Amino acid sequence: MTFLTLDHLQKSFGPTRVVHDFDLGVEKGEFVSFLGPSGCGKTTVLRMVAGFETPTAGRVVIDGRDVTRLRPNQRQIGMVFQSYALFPNLTVAENVGFGLRTAGVPRAERAGRVAEMLALIGLPDLGGRYPWQLSGGQQQRVALARALAPRPRVLLLDEPLSALDAKIRVSLRNQIREIQQQLAITTIFVTHDQEEALSISDRIVVMHKGIADQTGTPAQIYNQPATDFVAGFVGTLNRFEAEVLDPARGLVRVEGAEIALDRPLPAGRITLAARPESLRIAAEGIPAEITGVEFLGSVQRLRARAAGREVVLDRFNEPGVALPQPGAQVRLAAAQAGWLVLPG
Amino acid sequence: MRQIGWNWLGVLPFFAFALLFLVLPTMNIVIGAFQNPQGEFTLANLAGLASPRIVSSFAISIKISLASALLGCLIGFAMAAAVVMGGVPGWIKGPLMTFSGVASNFAGVPLAFAFIATLGRVGLVTMLLRQWFGINIYAMGFNLLSFWGLTLTYLFFQIPLMILIITPALEGLKREWREAAEVLGASTFQYWRMVALPILFPSLLGTFALLFANSFGAVATAYALTGSSLSIVPIMLFAQIRGDVLQDPHLGYAMAFGMIVVTGLANLAYVVMRARAERWMQ
Amino acid sequence: MRRVWSWAALIVGGLYFLLPLIGTIEFSLRMRRGEYSLDAYRSVLSDPNFRATFSYSVAMAALTILLGVLIVVPTAYWVRLRLPRLRPVIEFITLLPLVIPAIVVVFGYIRLYNTSSILPLTGTASGTNLLLLCGYATLALPYMYRAVDTGLSTLDVRSLTEAAQSLGAGWARIIVRLILPNVLGAVMSGAFLSFAIVIGEFTMAALLNRPAFGPYMQLLGANRAYEPAALAVIAFAVTWGCMGVMQLISRLFGTRMQAK
Ligand SMILES: Nc1ncnc2c1ncn2[C@@H]1O[C@H](COP(=O)(O)OP(=O)(O)OP(=O)(O)O)[C@@H](O)[C@H]1O
Ligand SMILES: [Mg+2]
Repeated sequence: MTFLTLDHLQKSFGPTRVVHDFDLGVEKGEFVSFLGPSGCGKTTVLRMVAGFETPTAGRVVIDGRDVTRLRPNQRQIGMVFQSYALFPNLTVAENVGFGLRTAGVPRAERAGRVAEMLALIGLPDLGGRYPWQLSGGQQQRVALARALAPRPRVLLLDEPLSALDAKIRVSLRNQIREIQQQLAITTIFVTHDQEEALSISDRIVVMHKGIADQTGTPAQIYNQPATDFVAGFVGTLNRFEAEVLDPARGLVRVEGAEIALDRPLPAGRITLAARPESLRIAAEGIPAEITGVEFLGSVQRLRARAAGREVVLDRFNEPGVALPQPGAQVRLAAAQAGWLVLPG
Repeated sequence: MRQIGWNWLGVLPFFAFALLFLVLPTMNIVIGAFQNPQGEFTLANLAGLASPRIVSSFAISIKISLASALLGCLIGFAMAAAVVMGGVPGWIKGPLMTFSGVASNFAGVPLAFAFIATLGRVGLVTMLLRQWFGINIYAMGFNLLSFWGLTLTYLFFQIPLMILIITPALEGLKREWREAAEVLGASTFQYWRMVALPILFPSLLGTFALLFANSFGAVATAYALTGSSLSIVPIMLFAQIRGDVLQDPHLGYAMAFGMIVVTGLANLAYVVMRARAERWMQ
Repeated sequence: MRRVWSWAALIVGGLYFLLPLIGTIEFSLRMRRGEYSLDAYRSVLSDPNFRATFSYSVAMAALTILLGVLIVVPTAYWVRLRLPRLRPVIEFITLLPLVIPAIVVVFGYIRLYNTSSILPLTGTASGTNLLLLCGYATLALPYMYRAVDTGLSTLDVRSLTEAAQSLGAGWARIIVRLILPNVLGAVMSGAFLSFAIVIGEFTMAALLNRPAFGPYMQLLGANRAYEPAALAVIAFAVTWGCMGVMQLISRLFGTRMQAK
């Protein structure tokens, strides 16, 4: 039995169905990210867990108890909003202590817990300030402390980092992950930033048009995308049309180059794909012409034209090795495991 | 230096106007309140305010202004809250705001006529209550020319004024604040007490002070409604300016000064409380 | 549950506002015994005093608006451009008329500008008219200033001015040709609000003894039964008209500003 279970959740606003049959089990202490394009229903699912939306069908179960009919203030959930949503009339300490106050925790005990939370987020001295006296990153950390102070059973974060600038985003996401692991709190984190999801999650749910397309560890999502959508949405992907020569042995041909995949394939034509870092320049392989070279420091990004399409390949910088020049004719290959066969 | 001089020249007409037609006339009254007919300094005029007639006129004026401001705030707040967050259809807001704009400016003499035609001895509502329900409100002690009558009439412009001012403030309450409070375990009541009302407090207080001053200084409605039969401060002052009914011009100045003090105190209270409430504002 | 309370508040409030309006209209039609008629309106409209006082007040309102614009627009503009630190002071002054009762202000006028003073404005009819005009302008000041200042806040006053100056425009030209057209919507909404306030104003006109519409209505109210109700209906219609035009204008200009 999982700690948080979303059991066949559905949600319609009027005639439009926004969430179709969403099924998910989250283990205690697990960090799960919802990743998907704008409008795919991430927030809606999260709000059903929090209790702000009532599911059209399905159940939300926390720790074995069906909470689908409970109001948000009875669910013991912590929530962090994209816009921070700190109460402007209360100091940082009062904000953090809010959930304790509504729970009737005595003042002295409250003060201790607030100090503890402020120390946890690394802002021990800012308790007396008002929200407008804090930077965006500080406000969001206070919001996190506020959500965690009453020891919620589940923590929900709805794009908590997207209002912040890039640098703070990275450091704050690591801090969120650290605190989450330290407290071992069951967490759902909504984002549309794949790097964010890949870097801090135990598991990722890739959502698309109200459906969970794939649920898996970051490595699974990246290396073994279950659907065409997941493959295209997470990371960059180079696609090639391939003709299957021998379905049983997995031999295909792309632009005259034969590639042995060593796995059973359907007959006819398939789409092959490879991540930029899987492709390399080799003696044998798919013929291509280099069209551009970007030097990104540790990585070199080469753009090429192969089989009538734009192709990107990344390789690590090696000081002794010269960059290929635009216009150079090369051949592209990948290790067997680097080739993805896309469904459909 | 020359630049500064030139800059000041640009606002000179405004300051000249404000000085001549707002500040000096008011100052003049204030000074007059501290002078005897010979132009010497005295506190006798202010002491003269302690006469029972004047004290009771201030008392009833303040009572009416407090009641109409308080009721105006409460009812206006309820109506604005109903429209902003009460789950009624969205189209109601537009007409309500338009109507409030009109009604908040529909004061003075015609307002008195409207209430006489409605709640006067032969007014529509009076008659209907008598014919349909057998209720004779005048026999029950109601009188339009009374504390409640005047308060009821003033509400016609007080409520809309409140609606006009508080609706944008209510719309400024973010949905996330409510949701954050709720998910932190707050009941609706706790949300209002701990978050929404403190945030609205400066607006509420400011509107209250404005409504208070609004009805405290109102002459026309009361005069058209009651003639001089109800001795509220502005009516008494009106009669004094017209015909020196107090038989002491300087007592009139003292009364006017008293009016300024009352509305000034109301607004001062607002400024002080607002400053205290606004620690959390930018 | 919340919806029930909301509807209750709106219905009770709505009744409170509708009943006096219905009552007044009904009363204004009751002049002829036993049937409804427009006699009261006929009687009011044919009264030469009605026409005289009404046109006097309309003229005063128009002049008030003109004076208000002349005082407020250049000031608000100048303060935004050159003296931003003065803004709180100006704002405070413009709010004073909401705090100091009009009756006190006009009392001050009578004392300050009486026949034995340095500036004996109340000595002549035209002087008193001028005094009343200035009184009305102070009454309208809070509304006028707010409207214009809000209008200016949507403009980048500084860049506009500098652009015009670089093209060689003088101050008068900048204000009349550049600033005024851009805040016209705001000025108009302030203007109609001022109109609504001035047209039926009673206290100042009565105490300065001017033949304005407000004192006329009061006098009629003291002596007649049904005509006052008809007057109230007319006054309400005028107020409604002013506010309606004001909203229309701000909507028109609002969309135009967004389109830019
Ligand atoms: N209250 C509502 N009424 C009607 N439609 C809604 C409502 N809330 C959300 N929707 C619709 O549901 C769909 C999913 O919305 P949701 O907010 O869950 O998307 P999201 O994945 O969180 O997107 P984003 O990344 O932009 O935040 C959208 O098409 C949205 O228009
Ligand atoms: Mg969202």
